[in-house]
Amino acid sequence: MPRLIIKVDPELCIGAASCVTVAPDTFRLNEENKAFVLDHGQEPGGSSYERTLEVTEEEKENILLSAQSCPTLAVSIFDETGTQIFPA
Amino acid sequence: MRYVVVGGGIAGVSACEAIRKQDAKGEIILVDAEEHPLYSRVLLGPYLVGKISREQIFLKTEAWYQAQRIEWLRGLSVRQLDPVNHHLVLSDEREIPYDKCLIATGCQPRLLGEDLRGVSYLRTLDDADHLLQLLREQGDRAQGLIFGGGFIACEYLKTFEHFKVPTTLLFRGPWFWSRTLDAQSGRMITTHLERKGVRVISSTCVEELIGKNDLGGVKTNQGEFAGTILGIGIGTVPESDWFQKAGGKVQEGICVNAFLETTIPDVSASGDVCEIESARFGRSLVSRTWSQALFQGRVAGANMTGRKETFCEIPALSMSVLGLEVIFLGDTSREHAEKIIVEGDETTGIVQRFLRGGKLVGATLVGRSKDRSTLTQEITG
Repeated sequence: MPRLIIKVDPELCIGAASCVTVAPDTFRLNEENKAFVLDHGQEPGGSSYERTLEVTEEEKENILLSAQSCPTLAVSIFDETGTQIFPA
Repeated sequence: MRYVVVGGGIAGVSACEAIRKQDAKGEIILVDAEEHPLYSRVLLGPYLVGKISREQIFLKTEAWYQAQRIEWLRGLSVRQLDPVNHHLVLSDEREIPYDKCLIATGCQPRLLGEDLRGVSYLRTLDDADHLLQLLREQGDRAQGLIFGGGFIACEYLKTFEHFKVPTTLLFRGPWFWSRTLDAQSGRMITTHLERKGVRVISSTCVEELIGKNDLGGVKTNQGEFAGTILGIGIGTVPESDWFQKAGGKVQEGICVNAFLETTIPDVSASGDVCEIESARFGRSLVSRTWSQALFQGRVAGANMTGRKETFCEIPALSMSVLGLEVIFLGDTSREHAEKIIVEGDETTGIVQRFLRGGKLVGATLVGRSKDRSTLTQEITG
């Protein structure tokens, strides 16, 4: 299964919540109205703006779609080699 | 099949993407008033304060339109719609036939009626470039005036704060978003702004500009105020004239059903220009946010290819008023609410709950973001 590194820049996040709408298992809003990253709906190790996830191809496509939905490009996605996939 | 999408913002472009996903062969024509490839209007604020570069605003490159086989007609708009013969007349007099048409033209800012150098609007990248040019030219002598008590005013406040421009904020209502917020929430925002050093003048209307070529200030019903840059955010008007002239139904926006179809066959609408009939809220709603435009574009585009998807996302808008978080969720019309309950105070943050038929239909949160998830769940039921 592909591994993805997902990062949210809280400085850019404005709480538009598009990522939460598209991928609710991967993103949630915290008390500061910023999106943070979940691992399949869970928060192992507590709330975090960055996580490495093992995902299916279908989940990968949906997470990419959620990052593309962000109006401030606050979500960055890297593959397991650290190469940035989005924003390209 | 020939699809014509009018409007190259996020609603129009996401519709083009959805069409191409479903129909690899169809002809897609995108009529775009802008000269730039798609960019994020939401990033204009971070661009103005130097948080990101100009290049980072762009979401698509010119090559993308080619790769998707989208015929991108830039710098053009529509003048006329002929629903009987299924064609559009463009601003360069060209006639374009369509099988399916999408209107995603968005809104134009409401204008002041007068213009001098120093008057600024903030809708497009060109507007943002113009504001930066004014700020650079004027340097330390810049004096900021803002006319408006809403979302655009917030962007001017942040920009003026960043450039250390002394700011006077004028708005027509008694407080920010006075058609939505209660007096207590409104006072909390005003107090916050005053603590940040902003001079706030409420219940004011700009009547006249002062200056010959360059702006020197404004005349209002409460006297004169000096200023060299005037940022205007007094609302927006949907770009729907040609649709209305063709016999289409327009209220606050172009009326569409949950499939985003207008009252004219084979013509859909999405994004800021439309007003959606919502089964959840039992009335039609206008919600002018990026996310709504994006998701509406996706649904409208898919439906133009023959699918039958419905749009049912609840509106949500969140803003920062110089660091104070303000969130609107769901249906926040005071007029349509049967009961409004206000909870909290300045120390805890203030929540307004909008109820109809005994159910929560909307909420506003000022300085109380932590309740957002719970309230969203309650509204979605």
